[in-house]
Amino acid sequence: MIEWIKYRRGLIIGIGAIILFAYWATTTYEPRVLASILLSGLTLGALYFLVTSGLSLIFGLMDVLNFAHGTLFMIGAYVGFTLYANPRLLLNTVPFVIAVAAGWLLAGWLPVKRIRAPGWLFWIGAVIVAMMAVWGFELAPLATTALSSGGRIPTEQAQAPTAIFVIRTLGLAVAGLIAGIAFLVGKEHAQQPLSAKLLVPLGMLTLALIIAPIRLSAEGWLLSLNSNTRFLLALLVGASSGAALGGLMEWSLIRPLYSRPIYQVLVTLGLVFVGTELVKAIWGPGGYFMELPEWFSRRGPGCPSPNLIAWLQDNCASIDVLGRPFPSYRVFIIALGLVMFIGTAILLQRTRLGMIIRAGVQDSEMVQALGINVRRVFTLVFALGAGLAALGGVAAAPFLGISPGLGQEFQLQAFIAVVIGGMGSFTGAALGALLVGLARAFGDQIVLTGIQLPWMSEAMSFSPSIARASTVLIMALVLLLRPAGLFGKKE
Amino acid sequence: MLARLKAPQWAGLGLIGGLVIFPYVIAVLTGQPVDSGVPKFWQGMLIQVFILAVFAMSYDILMGYTGILSFGHALFFGTGAYTIGILLKHAGWDLGSAFVAVIVIAIVQSLIVGLLSLRVSGVYFAMVTLAFAQMFFLLAEATDFRQWTGAEDGLQSIPVPAWISPTTERLRFYYLALVFAIAMYLIARQIVNSPTGRVMMAIRDNEVRAKVLGYNTLIFKLIAITVSGVMAALAGALNALWNLNANPAVLSVATTINALLMTIIGGVGSLIGPMLGAGVIQLLGYWLNVFFGPSWPLLFGIVYILIVLFLPYGIVGTWRLRGTSWLEQWRRRWQELTVRS
Repeated sequence: MIEWIKYRRGLIIGIGAIILFAYWATTTYEPRVLASILLSGLTLGALYFLVTSGLSLIFGLMDVLNFAHGTLFMIGAYVGFTLYANPRLLLNTVPFVIAVAAGWLLAGWLPVKRIRAPGWLFWIGAVIVAMMAVWGFELAPLATTALSSGGRIPTEQAQAPTAIFVIRTLGLAVAGLIAGIAFLVGKEHAQQPLSAKLLVPLGMLTLALIIAPIRLSAEGWLLSLNSNTRFLLALLVGASSGAALGGLMEWSLIRPLYSRPIYQVLVTLGLVFVGTELVKAIWGPGGYFMELPEWFSRRGPGCPSPNLIAWLQDNCASIDVLGRPFPSYRVFIIALGLVMFIGTAILLQRTRLGMIIRAGVQDSEMVQALGINVRRVFTLVFALGAGLAALGGVAAAPFLGISPGLGQEFQLQAFIAVVIGGMGSFTGAALGALLVGLARAFGDQIVLTGIQLPWMSEAMSFSPSIARASTVLIMALVLLLRPAGLFGKKE
Repeated sequence: MLARLKAPQWAGLGLIGGLVIFPYVIAVLTGQPVDSGVPKFWQGMLIQVFILAVFAMSYDILMGYTGILSFGHALFFGTGAYTIGILLKHAGWDLGSAFVAVIVIAIVQSLIVGLLSLRVSGVYFAMVTLAFAQMFFLLAEATDFRQWTGAEDGLQSIPVPAWISPTTERLRFYYLALVFAIAMYLIARQIVNSPTGRVMMAIRDNEVRAKVLGYNTLIFKLIAITVSGVMAALAGALNALWNLNANPAVLSVATTINALLMTIIGGVGSLIGPMLGAGVIQLLGYWLNVFFGPSWPLLFGIVYILIVLFLPYGIVGTWRLRGTSWLEQWRRRWQELTVRS
C-alpha cells in the first residue's frame, strides 16, 4: 500500500490539488462566471495545443528543440491574414517561389555528372542571377498598400507590369536551375530521376507563368468572395505555407546539423531572429487586426444566440452561456483544437505513418535499421508540426491580433506547457496546453476581480503581467515533483 | 622576463596597450579634444564593448566550459542592473555597498535558479532557464512595482556619483570599464585553469565519467552557474551605470541571444573568443546600421545562421584548429617568393 502511494505520489498530489482548486473555484465564482472562465481557458488551451503538439512530436522524434516554432505560428498568422485581407502580396510572390522550385527540380535532368567546375562557382552564379531577377522588386509596398488604408485600393498600385513580372519569374527559374546544379555537382550518387516526373517541374513553371498575367483579376476575384470562404482559404493557405516552411527548414538547416545537436538549437534560435525581422521588414513593425468572417460577426436583434444550434442559423458574434455572452469565434477555436487533436491522434494511432512516428520516438535508430527512411519521416513530422502551429496562428489572428511579438509570447507559454506535460508525449502536450490555458484564464479573472483568500480582509489585486508570470511558478512546481513532466519519459 | 612571453601573450599585451592609448590616438587622428566629439563617441562604443565582453565571457563559462546551455542568462545581467539602480536611486546607498549587494544577490539568485533548473539537463535546462528569465522580465514590466522598477518605462536617471559620470567623466569611465574587463578576464582565467575549472570541463566532456570519478557534479555545476551569474550581474550593474537606466529590455530574451551570438561568433570554449565576439558584434551592428538602415538585424541573423552552419567554432576556435597550418602555408609561400627572387 505504502509502495503504491509512493509510486503514484505525483498523481495523488495532482488529483488532490485539482480537487482543492475545483472546490475553491466553485465556492468563489458563480456558475456562469466559472463557465466563461473555463471556456476561455479551453480557447487558449486549444491554441497552445496547436503549438505544443508539433513542438513535442518534433522533440520526441528527432531530439530537436525548435525554438522557431512560435515564429512559424506568427508567420502562419501573417500569411493567412494577408490572403484574407490583401491577396496581392501572395499573388505577386507565389509565382517566384514556384519558379525557383521548378528550376531546382529541372536540374536533375541535366548531365550534371560531366561538370567539372567546383560547386561554389554555381552557388555564386545562382545568387547573382537571382539578384538580377529581383532587382528593384519591393515587398513592403505590396504588403502595406491595402492593409493600411483598410478598403479597396487601385489595382495597378505597387505591382510591376506583366512583362517585367514574367521576366523576373523566368530569371528566378534559371537561378533555381543553377542552384540545383550547384547542389548536385560533386555528388557521386545523384540519381537520374524518372522521366515521367519531368512533367512536375514543367507543370510548375507553366503554373507560375499562368499566374503572372491573371494576378490582377485573381485578386479581384478573391476579394469578391464571401468572407467565410476567404477565411477557410486563409486557414488552408496559412497552414500549408507553415508546413512548407517547416519542411524546408528541416531539410536545409536542421538536417546538415544532426551530428552537432546543440547547433540545431542555435540555428532555430537564429531563425527566430531572422523570421521576426523579416516579418517586420515586409509588414512593418506595427500590429494588424483581422476582421472576423461573417459566420462570427453578426450583431443586432436576436443576438446573442441562445445556444450552439441556433448560432448555426443566425451566426451571431456571441453565444449565450448560462446568461453571459461568450464570443462564438472562441467556440470555433475550441472546435478546431478538438478536431486537430482527434485528427492527430488518429494519425498517430491508426496509420502506418503514425506507427513509424511512434516507433521513432521510442528508438529512431532501430526504425532506421528496419529499413525505413527515417530522415523522410523527420521532414514530414517537422512539416506537420509547423503546419499545425501555422494553422493555430491563422486561427489566433482574429482573436489576438497580429504583431511581430506574437510568436515569442506563444513560444514561452508553449514551452511551459511542454515542460509540464513532458517532452515527446502527445497526451502530455495536450494536457499541458490545457493546464496552461486554464491557468491563464483564471489568472486573467483574478486580475480582473482580485483574489481573496480566507484569512484576508480585503481582496488583493494584481496586474496582468503577474498573471502571465504565474504560469512559470506552475512549471517550477511540476519540475520539483516530476522533473520529466507529467507524461515524460524518465531520463 | 619579457623574453619569456609567448606570441599569444604578446598579442594580449599589445591589445591592452592599444586599448589604453586608443582615446588619445583617435583624438590625434581626428584633431578633436579627447573628451568631446568623435573621440568621446568611440570611447562610448568601446565602453559598451567592454561591458558586453564580460557578459559574453560569463556566458561562455557556462556554455563553453561546463557544457550547460542556458537561455536565461539575461536574468543575471538584468537583475544586476535593477539591483544597483534601485539601491542607488531609492535606497540611497553608496556605490561600494551597492556593488557588494549586487554580488550577494547574484550569488543567492544563481543558487536558487541553479538548484531548481539543474533537476533537468540538456535542452530542458535551456527551456527552464528561459522561463525563469521571462518571469523576471514580466515582473519588471508589472505595474504593481511601478514605484520601485518604473514598470515598462524602466528605472530612469539612476544617480551615478559625479566622479564616474559617463556623460561628463567619459574618459575615466572608459578606463574603469577597461580595468573591469581585464580584471574579470584574469579572474575567469584563474578559475578556468584551477582544479575546479578542470572538473567543469570534465563535466562538459562526459558528465557520467566525472561522476564515476567521485566528483559531485551538481556542486561543480552550481559553482559554474554562480561564478557566471556573479560576473553577468556585475556587467549588468556597470551597464546600468553606463546607460544611467535599467529597463525591462535588459531582462528580455534578446539580451540572452546577444550573449549567445557573441559567444558563437567569437568561439565557444575560450575566454578571449566571446570578448572578441562582443567587439565584432557591436562594431558590425554599428556599421550595418549605417549602411543598411533599419533592416540590419535581418542581415545580422543571416550572418549568424551562416556562421553556425559553416564556421561552428567561431573566430578563435577556427584559428586554433587551422591557425598553425595556415601560418605554415603562408610561411612556405613567403619562403618560395623570397627564394625565387
